[in-house]
Amino acid sequence: MNIYQPQLALVTDAIDETPDTRTLRLEFQDEAVRESFAFKAGQFGEYSVFGAGESTFCIASPPTREGYIECSFKAVGKVTTALREVNVGDTVGFRGPYGNSFPVDDWKGKDVVFVAGGIGLAPVRCVIWNVLDRRDEFGDVTIVYGARSVDDLVYKRELEEWRSRSDVKMVTTVDPGGETKDWTGEVGYVTPVVEATAPKAQNAVAVLCGPPIVVKLTLPVLEKLGFADEAIFTTLENRMKCGLGKCGRCNIGPVYVCKDGPVFTAAQMKALPAEF
Amino acid sequence: MTDATDTGAVAPQRYFISEADLRGLAADLLGAGTEVIAPVTVDACQSPSAMATAACLRPGVAPVDVDYKAIADAAELDLGRDLPGLSLKQLFLPDHEALCRWHQRGLEVTVEEVPITFAPRVVLAAKPCDSAALAVVDEVMNWDYEDELWNGRREATTILNLACPVIDDSCFCTAVGSAPDDVKGADGLLTPVEGGYLAEATTEKGRALIEAHAARFSAADDPATAALVRQAADERAGARRRVAANLEIDAGSVRDWIATHFEDPLLASLAIRCNGCGACSSACPTCHCFDIVDEEEGVGRGTRRRCWDTCQAPTFTLHASGHNPRDDQHVRYRQRINHKFSIYPLKFGEVLCTGCGRCTRVCHAGQDLVEILAAIDIAARRPGEAVAAGAAASEDAEAAS
Repeated sequence: MNIYQPQLALVTDAIDETPDTRTLRLEFQDEAVRESFAFKAGQFGEYSVFGAGESTFCIASPPTREGYIECSFKAVGKVTTALREVNVGDTVGFRGPYGNSFPVDDWKGKDVVFVAGGIGLAPVRCVIWNVLDRRDEFGDVTIVYGARSVDDLVYKRELEEWRSRSDVKMVTTVDPGGETKDWTGEVGYVTPVVEATAPKAQNAVAVLCGPPIVVKLTLPVLEKLGFADEAIFTTLENRMKCGLGKCGRCNIGPVYVCKDGPVFTAAQMKALPAEF
Repeated sequence: MTDATDTGAVAPQRYFISEADLRGLAADLLGAGTEVIAPVTVDACQSPSAMATAACLRPGVAPVDVDYKAIADAAELDLGRDLPGLSLKQLFLPDHEALCRWHQRGLEVTVEEVPITFAPRVVLAAKPCDSAALAVVDEVMNWDYEDELWNGRREATTILNLACPVIDDSCFCTAVGSAPDDVKGADGLLTPVEGGYLAEATTEKGRALIEAHAARFSAADDPATAALVRQAADERAGARRRVAANLEIDAGSVRDWIATHFEDPLLASLAIRCNGCGACSSACPTCHCFDIVDEEEGVGRGTRRRCWDTCQAPTFTLHASGHNPRDDQHVRYRQRINHKFSIYPLKFGEVLCTGCGRCTRVCHAGQDLVEILAAIDIAARRPGEAVAAGAAASEDAEAAS
């Protein structure tokens, strides 16, 4: 079997997060693969619908929950539109896990601040649950999550769960105009809400993921709050095909995002040519 | 490193083979059922090669009439030493190939593997720049994950190069670490001498090929054949001199200058004539970027394929969101130059170019890599020259005082 051949996985759960975003739970058909499959928070895979092709997403479930993986995606292209049509009982393809990971073990004893915008919560959710499943190893946990509107918030049931926990500080916001009458969260863009939340930077790390504009505007705010570039982690989105460092598509300057990333610190990101 | 990239280099042993015996060797191999691939004369304007297509459109330029092909008869072997339109790349990374096949019946899906072992084959009279390109691409095909399809074909193939006389002023192999008599990526070398060829095996595979057909070769390591060896050395030295006259650069300075001058106006200006057709990528022996697509072949079945792709196409980096990190031709061309002459050398220690000149010859817009590299080399040398000139001036001043 060559490195490009996918494993088959059964869809065991499918949840519509928003009108255009869906989460699929996958279990490998091959028992040996199901038993041996392991990954780290932040790694990604190539998901396929046979006939439509492959698409790249981070694994959205945490490595601390074994026996399945989950992915969340927005139906925008050919493959994601086909994946949107997939239901429980269908079979899809998966290759992975690929890429590097968030150094969660290095964060023991530190506060962890998560900042995500829109569908950018999917890769961050994996790390959030990874940290919460090992809750006593870390200090304060703060989550700031924003979307365009209440409708666009993903993982709504989990946002509630995180909000109700006494060991998590959860701030949810929607862009001005995106609120509903009964909305009790913040109204405003993610960046100013992070600034207002003002998580302390001492002995803390920040995990940031969202649309390019959210990442671009929030980085200086985190720096202003005192986070060092080495303590800010993000996961870069770039178009990929192979995920194996061969097809050349995700190359930016000296890095192949699929092999040297997708997780980078702000310091590493700043050293790259301004090309993403 | 895998067997594919382990060159298995051996000390060269010299042999003589006549042209009749070289064709006899091809006939022997064909007779034994081995696939033989060699330059053959083709109807230029019917050739699938990008170079021939461009040449056919360009008045006043002789259409290229040689391609690497599997031969059916030893008489087809073209020993004229012209440059084949497309490189050896397609023999190892076909323009499209199956990665797996799927079948779906109801909810049940099965995936069928494609073979990763290949029948032995021999390439005769390969261009040194084309074999060297395979060794360069071996690196990316084997860092961490090993590409079994590439490696399987590499392992199954024995390549005998034919020393190149240098084609034209688009050649620049010596500027990027190769040579008209390079054996990198190959298993041996043939050099034309009076009455035939001096043959050298440079790997175990090459030696095995010669030993298996020993009757076609005679040893050329005794004093009686010293003249032939000298003749071959002169032939190769002449070719090296001719190609070096086309372009001389300091590839290390070029590499470092590009890495530190990403926003330099020079890099932005290089694509002035380029319209992003991507013919250079198809013709290039080292361009290896690919796409993976599903091809349906009726209801419930199909093939997942990889196909050549090019970083010169706007869709190469286009995100589904509509965002495109390389949304203009000049940044896509900069990526081409950066990847070949800086990123790849820094990451893998090899220039992603062997100086074959095909990109220049196929370009209908007139992008000339010889000119471009010369311009970057001048920019890269400038600070060094200033320092050297300054040092000379201070030495002069000291001497005067």
